[in-house]
Amino acid sequence: MTAPTAPVLPSPSQSPWPRRLRTTRRALFIGVLILGGILMMVPFFWMITTSLKTRAEVFAVSPTILPTQPRWENYAEMWNALPFAAFFVNSVKLAALNTIGQVISCSMAAYAFAVLRFRFRGPLFGLLLATLIIPFQVVLVPNFILYRMLPHPFSTSGNWIGTQEPLWVGAFLGGAFGTFLLRQFFLSIPRELADAARVDGANPWQIYRRIYLPLAKPALATLAIFTFMWTWNDFINPIIYLRDVNSFTLTAGLSLFQGQFVGKWPLLMAGALVSVIPMIILFIIAQRQFVRGIAMTGIKG
Amino acid sequence: MTAPAANRNRRGRGGGPLSGEGRWALLFLAPTILGLVVLSAGPILATIAISLTKWDLLRAPQLVGLDNFVDLASDDRFLLALRNTAFYTVVSVPLGMVISLGLALALNQTIRGIAWIRTAYFLPVVTSTIAIALVWQWIYSPDSGLLNQFLATFGIAPQRWLSNSTLVMPAIVVMSVWQGLGTNIIIFLAGLQAIPGELLDAASVDGAGRWARFRNVVLPLLTPSIFFTGVLSLIDSFQVFDQVFVLSRPRPTDATITVVYFIYENGFKFFKMGYASAASWVLFVIVAVFTTIYFRSQNRWVHYQ
Repeated sequence: MTAPTAPVLPSPSQSPWPRRLRTTRRALFIGVLILGGILMMVPFFWMITTSLKTRAEVFAVSPTILPTQPRWENYAEMWNALPFAAFFVNSVKLAALNTIGQVISCSMAAYAFAVLRFRFRGPLFGLLLATLIIPFQVVLVPNFILYRMLPHPFSTSGNWIGTQEPLWVGAFLGGAFGTFLLRQFFLSIPRELADAARVDGANPWQIYRRIYLPLAKPALATLAIFTFMWTWNDFINPIIYLRDVNSFTLTAGLSLFQGQFVGKWPLLMAGALVSVIPMIILFIIAQRQFVRGIAMTGIKG
Repeated sequence: MTAPAANRNRRGRGGGPLSGEGRWALLFLAPTILGLVVLSAGPILATIAISLTKWDLLRAPQLVGLDNFVDLASDDRFLLALRNTAFYTVVSVPLGMVISLGLALALNQTIRGIAWIRTAYFLPVVTSTIAIALVWQWIYSPDSGLLNQFLATFGIAPQRWLSNSTLVMPAIVVMSVWQGLGTNIIIFLAGLQAIPGELLDAASVDGAGRWARFRNVVLPLLTPSIFFTGVLSLIDSFQVFDQVFVLSRPRPTDATITVVYFIYENGFKFFKMGYASAASWVLFVIVAVFTTIYFRSQNRWVHYQ
């Protein structure tokens, strides 16, 4: 060991390599990581630069990386080509409704499974968990048929098809992922708190509202963020249920845009960027909750 | 379902401090039970019934027995969908896991700025596949796409990535692996950080080098994380849809149709509800069989502490 104050026992940070070689190796390692990180970012970078180019620049024989002069008009053109403002509002509205619905209904179910004692608790929880491994595409057809049977006062079809309702009402009816996540969290809250409140005459609703919900804020935030992201990025449900362009979400609208503006890459990239920016901002703000949520449950984006 | 349960609970245990909890449970679980009945567990049973019919939603459903399943077995497009989905799974799952394991090992250290580098790897996870696939469609574009431009600097002729039937599925796999790396990395990082430092110290004291420590200490302790990412990637890969929808516009060719696209196409474009339900059931059975086999295999290679 070259270090003058080397301890008797080698610590794990010490390897048999001479120090200088170790530093070089480490630098090389970090270099590869940074290079990989840059590689991961290339599609985003390419999206941004393309969104600011002219069509001539995009198809030039020897294209440049950056636009000679950023063409901000692409964004205005994209925004007005289709009702993007409406898409944006619809995505925000549906993501918010789904988030509220999941946080309320899953936390209620999680409280029952974690705290209350009742017959069939085990089997019911098992049944709920079993729905986790079933691909949701398996129930697409029966759900569609169900929503087609439900009457709707304001829909042109007379039923729920063509309205946004199938895209959020179900969120108020619980879900295996959220219930499981919150139940695990509720189980970690000491039971003595609930017992003490019960002695003081609190009923289960008050215990849920005043003790469990406030203490579970981190887990609730994780569920909220994931639900928001899933709804925001959902594609198959909007294209199945929505008919009127003005009711489209950003993903459905973007797909329509892709079909109508084939090859107009600057506009398409501007549209793609506008639809991913809110999620990127949310991710940067709430990175901790994201990472914890994935590590805890392994559910992906 | 639990209403009689609540009563029995009350009577059976004769009051006491727990009396009435069954009723409260029913109140708290009412939305979930309704959801199970009408949106998840109930519809799964409904899918079985629908799969035995011919139903275009205009006329009344017609019972046809197992005809839909017989038709599926000889439907070339469905067989191609199965083959493409299998290819996608077999290539993307191991590839994604190996790359993300390597990256997680590299990212598992304390250097200044590591948080920023990690963010770069996580970011694709949160962005919508539709928007991202649009960007990749442009990267793969035959005319001035980034990939062809890049390859041209090495003198490689431009390729038609998305219309060449040999190249298109690998192209979709690359995009999907890129997008999915972050999820696996996070799970692996959590697993790595749970490995007790003393174990690594002990191995070092015994003279184990970097590779020996990885092979004999880190890797066995990481098998639960590897198993976990495997399950998730497996289930996820059978459901591939969004990428295919965007990258094989206007509609998937024989080279790109996947099982979920097949279900979507038959159910919601051709309104063959019975046929789409039968295909859903085949998908469900495939996922169930593979997940079960995978779970059974864990005794042989997963070490829980």
